[in-house]
Amino acid sequence: MPLFGTKTKSPQDLVKSLKDSLGQVAKEKGEKEAKKASEDVCKTLQSIKNMLYGTPEQEPQTEHVSQLAMEMYQSNMLLHLVQNLGKIEFEGRKDVVVIFNNLLRRQIGTRSPTVEYICMKSDILMELIRGYETHEIALNCGMMLRECCRYEALAKIMLYCPEFYKFFTYVEVSTFDIASDAFSTFKELITKHRALSAEFLEQNYDKFFTHYQQLLYSENYVTRRQALKLLGELLLDRHNFQTMTRYISSPDNLKLMMIMLREKSRNIQFEAFHVFKVFVANPNKPKAILDILLRNKEKLVEFLTKFHTDRSEDEQFNDEKAYLIKQIKELRPAAQDAADLKAEGGTS
Amino acid sequence: MRVHCLACLKGVFSSYVPLLPPSNLQAFFCWGVKPNIYFGLILQHCACSKSHFSESPPARKPFERNATSPLSDHKVTVTMSTVNESCGSEVVNVQFDNLGSAYTLHTVIGKGHKGASTIHLACHSGSSTQVAIKRVNLENWDQEYAYIQNEIVLTRQLQHEHILPHYCSFIHQHELWTVMPSMGFGSCRDLMQAFHTAGLPEIAIIYILRDVFKALVYLHSRGIIHRGVKASHVLISGSGLVCLTGLHNAFSTVTGGEKLHVVYDYPQHAVDCLQWFSPEILAQNLAGYDTKSDIYSMGIMACELANGQAPFADMPVTQMLLEKINGTKPMLADSSTCGEFIIDDNSMDEVDEEGRKRTPEEKANHIFFERTFSPQLHHLASLCLEKNSAQRPSACQMLEHQCFKSLRKKSTEVLPEAFHPVTPLTSLANVPKDSSVDEDLARHMSEVSMEVDWNF
Repeated sequence: MPLFGTKTKSPQDLVKSLKDSLGQVAKEKGEKEAKKASEDVCKTLQSIKNMLYGTPEQEPQTEHVSQLAMEMYQSNMLLHLVQNLGKIEFEGRKDVVVIFNNLLRRQIGTRSPTVEYICMKSDILMELIRGYETHEIALNCGMMLRECCRYEALAKIMLYCPEFYKFFTYVEVSTFDIASDAFSTFKELITKHRALSAEFLEQNYDKFFTHYQQLLYSENYVTRRQALKLLGELLLDRHNFQTMTRYISSPDNLKLMMIMLREKSRNIQFEAFHVFKVFVANPNKPKAILDILLRNKEKLVEFLTKFHTDRSEDEQFNDEKAYLIKQIKELRPAAQDAADLKAEGGTS
Repeated sequence: MRVHCLACLKGVFSSYVPLLPPSNLQAFFCWGVKPNIYFGLILQHCACSKSHFSESPPARKPFERNATSPLSDHKVTVTMSTVNESCGSEVVNVQFDNLGSAYTLHTVIGKGHKGASTIHLACHSGSSTQVAIKRVNLENWDQEYAYIQNEIVLTRQLQHEHILPHYCSFIHQHELWTVMPSMGFGSCRDLMQAFHTAGLPEIAIIYILRDVFKALVYLHSRGIIHRGVKASHVLISGSGLVCLTGLHNAFSTVTGGEKLHVVYDYPQHAVDCLQWFSPEILAQNLAGYDTKSDIYSMGIMACELANGQAPFADMPVTQMLLEKINGTKPMLADSSTCGEFIIDDNSMDEVDEEGRKRTPEEKANHIFFERTFSPQLHHLASLCLEKNSAQRPSACQMLEHQCFKSLRKKSTEVLPEAFHPVTPLTSLANVPKDSSVDEDLARHMSEVSMEVDWNF
């Protein structure tokens, strides 16, 4: 207890005063009152932050922390804070993030009470996702969302909610910081819990990849490049075997990758190579895929021989490239096809 | 290209790395102090290139982004309070566009990342606002994508009078453009290169240090360690506002709902900041480091501002590391310390008025006898450079130092005069327009992708 200055408020008082002043801010009264209320919110947020994280003088006290958490749950404070985030001042918003993330990682034994709480109040997650639509709070919401992604239960709710598809718009906004932050969150969601996302991708294959295709066609260089890179990572992940098999049996996907191989940007060519190789390496190529490869056999061999020859130090890349060239050279029409081809006079 | 990741990161993101070649008159000397301290010093004044500088501009104060704009919109509204010495502060609303075509690029004022990034002076066509734009070519830069993101996302989360804001950042073709206020005097490094080659006047040093300490108080209170404090990261606006920048190495100790008390993370890409790093960061041992390491960097920067060159500049990195770990304390070179300097120099034969060759000691005395820094400033530098981080005061405590106690004025009232005869670059009128963007575009268009045409 400090010798001078005011006695620190109890957790109950803090949450109560936060609730009151937040209500004031939300009402948008006169300028003077609004300013006073906004200052109060910031002050209270700071006290709560100090209670959770401790100060240089005092370590956080477990007793206070658990009382505070209880109060926050009971008063539905997390939702209030997220809903009114745009009305809280700049520094206060950052404190909200810090408080939210601290509460989120709370553990009692093997239980995570805050995670369980948010599972029941999934509105919080929807609000956070929609936060990307507002410039001022986008990055704050992003920081909280990424923290939520760490918990499988929360990631599952986010993946299966309709709001998830909003990410495909968010990652393309013109403001770089927001777009790239949204992409980080998106990537985290889709890669963090492998089994979960594998199941999600299998179940929602069509919807997901219809949206994903837009990213690969994006006019934004960074979106295109990052989306292509992530696609490569997704397909090569063992958990996503089903999704991968499905993806590489579509001739349209192969065509897209072959076009990307010839993009102006060397980085995009390179990322496309890592997706293209999966099509070629597939031992059970569907006929449509095989046909395209066969039709372009000579061109592909020539193209790949000249492809990124300056990457001499990248052994894995060179091995893969050599393997692809060998595979393509050895491509033969399937036995039955060969007969058909002969009959048609090789016109197709 | 994926392969040369580490090599191309060497000059990373140091904003406003001066492009002007150092004057050909300058000479680097090696100074030794007992037991073994070296100061690299740039000696003579160069003929300062100030022909195109003119009257003073408004300085930018912290700004706020205004009410929400729809996401698809290409405009970012920025409310800036513009400080103008004559008419007080006024608020200017500027809508910055997230579109490359909305800006006219003028001359290049800096480069970084081994050429992957350039900083241009530019003009926002819609509002005729003068800005600086950093362009990073993402094609020459792959692996560390998160690293570029870090600076931009972090800077967006900061609002402080003495931290350089970003107005907006967006993708233009294959480049990342970041729009910032243009800072008329450039960085402190630029100032020293332009004229003050033997160091800035004490009054300027104190005001600069005070404002940077203020920025550090803000960062540290939010759990951020800057890890890149040095003269080239301190920018001065045309009216004398001091802004800290270069947050690409910054580390946030509050992550994932936890606050770290000790940090072990070693800044991989900070090859150009090694000289400024504290012994504890360089040691990379189990003791780790904390916000106090920024205070050490402040001490090195104080020497840099006073001497014209950062301590340890001219020795191999390994030797610098050894010196720092052994507790060697660099110091400010003036009449009170120059007796201790030993000169190790073969590069220049300076001849005095009588045609007699000067001894190295005389050379040192010649420059430094004429100036004496106050004991307070010496004390401040020495405090910052304590090898034991526990003995260094915090940024907050530093602001209570005697040096700063007597300061009554704003830096805007003092600095422009103190930098005389250097004048800020404020008008774009005489600055050549840069046509490389248009050329780029033309090349972009004419570039034929590999000739093969797939047969689908």
